[in-house]
Amino acid sequence: MRDPRSWSRVTIGKRELSALSREKTIVLAILIQLFIAAFSSFLVVGLTSLYDPGAVEEGEIEVGVTGEQQNRLVEAAQTEGVGTVRFQGRADATAAFEDGDIDAVLVATGEQAEQGRVIQVDAIVPSEDLRTTLIVVQVRSVLTELERTERLARSEFLEQPPVAVPSSTDGSPFFGFTYTILLPLLLFLPAFISGSIVVDSITEEIERGTLELLRAAPLSLTDIVDGKAGAMILLAPLQAMLWLGLLRLNGIGINHALPLLVVVTAIATITVVLGIVLALVTARRRQAQLLYSILALLLFGTAALLPEHPASTIALLAVDSTTPGTFAHVAGITVFAVVVLAVVRRYVTGLDPESL
Amino acid sequence: MQIRKLLRIARWEVTKNAGGVDRRTVAVVVAAIALLALVAPLVAAGGVGVDSGLYRVGVDESSPYYDVVRQDDTFVVTGPDATAYDDGDLELLITGERIRVQPTTKGEAAHDELRSSVQQYNDEQLKLEANQSAAFPVSVALEFRSQTGLGDRLRIDQDGGEATETDGAGGDDGGAAGETDDGAAGEADGGENASRSVDPDTESGGVGGLGGLGGPLGNEGVSGSPSDIDPPFPFESLVLAFVFVIPMNFVIQAYGSTILSERINRRGELLLVSPVSRLDIIGGKTLPYFLGAMAIEGAIAVGLIYTVDGTVGGLVSILAMTPLVLLFLGATFLGAMFARSFKELTFVTVTITVVLTSYAFVPAIFTDVGAIALISPLTIVVRNLQNEGVTLGEFAFSTLPPMLSAIVFFGLGSGLYREEDMFDQRSIRGRVLDALAGPISRPYHVGVMTAVLIPFVFVLELLAVASLFALGEISIVLILVVVAVLEELAKSLHIYAAYEHRTFEARRKVALVLGAISGVGFFLGEKLALLAQLVGLPELAIGEAALQGAVFTGPILVLFLLAPLALHVTTAAISAVGAGRGKRSYILGVGIAILVHLGYNLAVVTAVA
Repeated sequence: MRDPRSWSRVTIGKRELSALSREKTIVLAILIQLFIAAFSSFLVVGLTSLYDPGAVEEGEIEVGVTGEQQNRLVEAAQTEGVGTVRFQGRADATAAFEDGDIDAVLVATGEQAEQGRVIQVDAIVPSEDLRTTLIVVQVRSVLTELERTERLARSEFLEQPPVAVPSSTDGSPFFGFTYTILLPLLLFLPAFISGSIVVDSITEEIERGTLELLRAAPLSLTDIVDGKAGAMILLAPLQAMLWLGLLRLNGIGINHALPLLVVVTAIATITVVLGIVLALVTARRRQAQLLYSILALLLFGTAALLPEHPASTIALLAVDSTTPGTFAHVAGITVFAVVVLAVVRRYVTGLDPESL
Repeated sequence: MQIRKLLRIARWEVTKNAGGVDRRTVAVVVAAIALLALVAPLVAAGGVGVDSGLYRVGVDESSPYYDVVRQDDTFVVTGPDATAYDDGDLELLITGERIRVQPTTKGEAAHDELRSSVQQYNDEQLKLEANQSAAFPVSVALEFRSQTGLGDRLRIDQDGGEATETDGAGGDDGGAAGETDDGAAGEADGGENASRSVDPDTESGGVGGLGGLGGPLGNEGVSGSPSDIDPPFPFESLVLAFVFVIPMNFVIQAYGSTILSERINRRGELLLVSPVSRLDIIGGKTLPYFLGAMAIEGAIAVGLIYTVDGTVGGLVSILAMTPLVLLFLGATFLGAMFARSFKELTFVTVTITVVLTSYAFVPAIFTDVGAIALISPLTIVVRNLQNEGVTLGEFAFSTLPPMLSAIVFFGLGSGLYREEDMFDQRSIRGRVLDALAGPISRPYHVGVMTAVLIPFVFVLELLAVASLFALGEISIVLILVVVAVLEELAKSLHIYAAYEHRTFEARRKVALVLGAISGVGFFLGEKLALLAQLVGLPELAIGEAALQGAVFTGPILVLFLLAPLALHVTTAAISAVGAGRGKRSYILGVGIAILVHLGYNLAVVTAVA
């Protein structure tokens, strides 16, 4: 036989969840998260593509070169696979640039610096064009290559030779982003939303006066809070599972799924506990929500004082670069969550429901 | 509306807020914000390092790469343990000069990171060299210059004079961007001799694969060594967007709660039966939040301008932020009138925040593409910060659509602010229909309603333009789809709502008349929107596609004026006929209308191109 009180808690929890699904708001919540994920991915993928032309196969650019050192520029451009057009003088090249025939102008001249000669390159790129970023990146790669060969030629004058730069590979520029930004974002959001819903749920019962009705049932305040909190704490790892599954479907390997879900559950517990306390103390949604969002932000910020931010913990777990410290953090967060939950349950038990 | 009554309600709203429990809330909020302000520099100084320890590398101490990976937090460094590498516990194994890379995506990403790390390390080391001309044999002066000639591809022509030649004198915002640069934001002090300037506080950072987030906000030239060149990246816009939008999030939470709590337990009835109009009530309840938000945003704008320029200013910024603040409040007001419970309100507010943040932010990314950037009022703020002028037309283009949308939101919401709507429990969908059908009692109201919805359609279309235009060719088609869907819904949703409320007879002839009125309303409203041409958005092929504002002259002018009118009337009539027969046929009708609209748009675009 089960304890009838635990059943009543389950009933409260079920009621919470069914209210969410009846209002179809949970659908909205998931849509929002999807939107945020898509939005941030769009942002980063779009911008990284602009930033790193290797990320998208974009059309070739044509650079006009001129000046006494133009041969070296052309060599460097050939190494980098950038098309060049030679011009007689600066004026010709600039005219061609202004007509839109070439994408950029590079004028290379020798110049006397304080210690020996340097190659002075004047680069002209378009100012108002989406391709500017792309062109600038290409021009930079040409110039970096030129710098590299020049350095090699002058290496005898250097006290310490530069470290050889490894060859470039076609690694995904989004790899780091996916694990360090996108994944933590997707896993934190459900937890934050859960806490927010608890605030709403409790303050609404208080403001509408329905808490009295609930208490007319054979339930203590602790039971009611337990039920509401339990449902919301469970909701977060469920959503997290959805995201992990979706990411896996997209070919993004997620390691340590179980510890990840533990972290999410623990964080959801912490936010839900915060929500409960604020809702019961203020009894008004306006104050409670305001405080909740600010304090949650503060909590997230201060977590950076930990040796490893929870966002880092999530990234390291998922990418399988765990250290013993990572698991210590998982354990630490979990213990903290359990402790605050226990403390708040004591507080709720000691609370006089009539005072609300 | 009576100002005196309005102000009294506003005073109640404030005093009710500051008394009793709320003083405690304010204290906690202030304390929390103070703590946040305390923590922020600590966090920033320590380096947030979201990607620290991401890759594991085994390297022996004699390797030249040893120091490189030691100074990059992204790597966890251990000894060159070949078995650990074979077990997949190391991404990179470096022995001497030889680098072994795991054949996984993670291994490749680690290799890329190593590559940029080496480049950065080299630059740092070379700065210490005695012979600087051998260390930095190439000196670059980068200049941004406008191309006047149009190439054969889609090129964005800008009529503003702000993006012409620059003198290479940057350096004023280099300090702000320095923190996240990985490529040394060394902006030289004078462009002409391109002397090498070293930015001492360069530190590694960047987010994942993003690399350097710095770069000039505007078009100032850059000079230094090749690695000092950073492509323009809208990092400042991003920070600005969040600086301005995050406080709004808190304001609308409190505001939404206030409005919704009026609807709980018939609390609002007391005010409703008192001798004040509902506009007084709404105005009074909104005023404190509006003023509060404006005070916050104004303080931010003035503070920013003071830190950047050292002067007191920012009136233009404050004016530009006003419609955005109103849009936030208006959307929240309507959301609070729709929501049935606090939970629902939370989701509604989150949706509002997300959508409006992207509205403010996405266009502002493209600071170097004038017309697109101006969609967001934040661009005005950015330009104000850069001491660039804004023409009246540009200001109007940027602020009028959100302003008008805010008015529409408040208008629809106040239509629901009455006893029979406030206190019943209808679903959001039902309430949306209520709000739309409320003001309609005669056929011509349909046309007015359509015209009223146009700013809203406009804002969404502009948002779509801003988010999609970077995708290239395909974006035109995608935007046309969005446009067709939005416009058809705007022309027919209220007709459907009116039918649901049985305002009109469900006869085909009536439906056709209603559709025609709606189409004419849309056409007339849209012509007002030719405002967009003032700043040259239609010069952008995509803008043209979205707004259909193609300018024609000569005999075909009449045809091109009449064709859209015919289109709008036809499609609105199709969906109106569907609306008269219930939900399913309405969906079907709108679907057909959207397809017709899309077909027409595609035909026009291909004919013009």
